[in-house]
Amino acid sequence: MSETKAHKKRDIFLEGPIDTAFIAESIAKHATRTDIGAHEIFLGQVRADRAAGTGGKFPAPTTTAIEYTAYRDMANEQMLPIREEAFARWPITCLHVHHSLGTIQAGELCFFVFASAPHRQAAREAVAYVTDEVKKRLPIFGKEIREDSTHVWKSNQ
Amino acid sequence: MEMKLFGMIAEKAEAESIALEAASVMELKRKAEERIEGLAAMSYAIAVDRRIMNDDAPLNGNEEVALLPPFAGG
Repeated sequence: MSETKAHKKRDIFLEGPIDTAFIAESIAKHATRTDIGAHEIFLGQVRADRAAGTGGKFPAPTTTAIEYTAYRDMANEQMLPIREEAFARWPITCLHVHHSLGTIQAGELCFFVFASAPHRQAAREAVAYVTDEVKKRLPIFGKEIREDSTHVWKSNQ
Repeated sequence: MEMKLFGMIAEKAEAESIALEAASVMELKRKAEERIEGLAAMSYAIAVDRRIMNDDAPLNGNEEVALLPPFAGG
């Protein structure tokens, strides 16, 4: 069975931040796949953005966390063609995508894209493509919580 | 039909879903905009059975419909 089929039913979502131990374990699981010569990883981290437009004497509040929600069934369905496009375009061995749900504090990891291939260029390009397409095509929503307890809704435009 | 709401739209409507009857995506949008204050001024998409559909797509009442604000993954 191909990797694509093996992963068809996978839920990309995890509750809470992505633990660095989970990332290390994901890498370690590939030790038996000796046809792999390159791993490429993208990690998204919640950034403590300062709100625009209200600087000066009263500095704008910074983001302390993002609360992620998703239309989970649709997001997992939308992930399938992205995965298939990546396997069709690049000779990659495997591809793993995970995204957080719930409240993720600034400095914590919320998005993990991991491709492995015999050679580095395929892994690199596949990760860049999948990262961008997930941001564009998956119905994931982010509420940026600020230090003054107000919030704004994040938008990938 | 029951329309699912997400993110800032669920927040505005103070609900996770609303009940609406519509024969097309266009009619669904018009009714949703009447029900949810401020929606007409917002950027949003309609998903029918978990796919984004255009205004002219017909509805038979048995679909899973959802109103989606801008995506913010990653």
